[in-house]
Amino acid sequence: MKFVPKEADGAVNISKTHPLAEMAWLGGGLFLLAALVYLGLTLLTGWIVHHLPVDAEVWIGKEILQQEPGIPSPPLKKRLDALVECLPQGSPLKRYDFSVRLIESDTVNAVALPGGTIVVFSGLLKEVASENELSMILAHELGHFAHRDHLKRLGKGIILGAASWLLFKNSSQPFLFTFVSGLDARYSQSQEEDADMWGLHLLYRRYGHVGGSVDFFARLLKKKRQGRLAYLFASHPHPQKRIERLVAAAREQKYPVKAVEPLGSDIQNLLEDLNRE
Amino acid sequence: MIVTNVETIPGKSIIEHYGIVQGSTVRAKHLGRDFMAGLKNLVGGELKGYTELLSEAREEALQRMVEQARQMGANAVVNVRFATSSVAQGAAELFAYGTAVKVE
Amino acid sequence: MGEFILQNLNLVLPLFLLALGYVAGSIAERRHYRSIEMREQELVSLPAVTLKEIQEDDAVTGRLVVGSVVVSIDYFKRALAILRNIFGGRVASYESLVDRARREAILRMKEEAASLGAYIVVNMRIEMSAIGQSANRKKQVGSVEAIAYGTALIKQA
Repeated sequence: MKFVPKEADGAVNISKTHPLAEMAWLGGGLFLLAALVYLGLTLLTGWIVHHLPVDAEVWIGKEILQQEPGIPSPPLKKRLDALVECLPQGSPLKRYDFSVRLIESDTVNAVALPGGTIVVFSGLLKEVASENELSMILAHELGHFAHRDHLKRLGKGIILGAASWLLFKNSSQPFLFTFVSGLDARYSQSQEEDADMWGLHLLYRRYGHVGGSVDFFARLLKKKRQGRLAYLFASHPHPQKRIERLVAAAREQKYPVKAVEPLGSDIQNLLEDLNRE
Repeated sequence: MIVTNVETIPGKSIIEHYGIVQGSTVRAKHLGRDFMAGLKNLVGGELKGYTELLSEAREEALQRMVEQARQMGANAVVNVRFATSSVAQGAAELFAYGTAVKVE
Repeated sequence: MGEFILQNLNLVLPLFLLALGYVAGSIAERRHYRSIEMREQELVSLPAVTLKEIQEDDAVTGRLVVGSVVVSIDYFKRALAILRNIFGGRVASYESLVDRARREAILRMKEEAASLGAYIVVNMRIEMSAIGQSANRKKQVGSVEAIAYGTALIKQA
């Protein structure tokens, strides 16, 4: 037996596919998969939310409120009641027993919780300058109730969380999540715009004009100047865009714009209390 | 191509040897199969998907090794060994290596 | 723009690491393969076989020779492997990793044998193991260790 030196061909042990091409195929496949899952979940939660009785909703709302109760706020409730009064007869929102709670926090936001609870953060209240603005914010949240957005969001969050836990356990999949949350941001922004429109119509029914409907966003815009790019993946649309859409809608409906009412004394007292603390 | 895992090929004599040849592969099953295997784990028994994965990987490793030997001009591979590694989670990594020889 | 990057750091950072991993990883891999091929050519006349006995009449002495190496995967290939795990099939990105590790280990073993003046390595075996469990699990070092060993036969002067 004699040895004949020969070189082994190392290339047989390596696949010839280009890594970038493979990444494109696999990444594309994953995106498609995620989009399908997302679409399925949206339809599923939409269906569940549509069939969920108000009683069950109230129960869910109570469970959430136990985490962060806040304090019921009679002055805000008074304004909300005045808005609800203006709802047309037979509106599905009449089934709700609405309440408003105030939570002390610097967050400039308000949240619609299942069961008819609107949570207003004190950070938002401090920004408000007129009765009409305050009504617009509350009407916007009522719009979320009318579209059942509060339940859709909650349901999708739960299902998405459960699905990702089942599939990936603890190992988080950053690409997938970023993609899905990106999709969700687009969806959420369109929900916000729909709620804006709904609020605008209610504001008109309440006051007979839509003065003050965009003041709040204008102030927000002045406060922090952010590019539109920063709003690409945000849950809310850019304030400028919201103002434009509201103004266009008001013009189309021929809603007049009149002078705004200053804040009532009870709200001013509330604000003073908040500032003192 | 004759492949054995003993030193010789019975009934034949080795006239030339060319050194080591090796073949390897890393293969995985899709998520659905992994999930089913996880369920099967509750009751025990053969994991068909993974058995299949392992035999596919073994086939491919052997075939690649034989391909290397063929390119060297060998007509047999003797004293073949299989080994595994575990770099990737949920994937089968097999490699086979042996000595490429020419027999008559 | 800077603000956008800061706000979406969880999106921008992996993309940056992917690009870095791809560029640096493929440069390192190409360089490694070039060196492997060069050294394989140099050592082509020193065979390593899995056989136990080679019929040689010369009086010889044997010595154990070992070569080992630990090679790591880059971020891009790891991401590719994670994706591949979802769809199944050949994990091409790890093939070159294990291939490089094995060939490098054999080369180091042969180099040791050559320095001893050996003319053949017999009964060679290769073992592989993964340091840090699995490569595509997060927060763990994704690397593979290869060790090649055999008996170097040296002609007695």
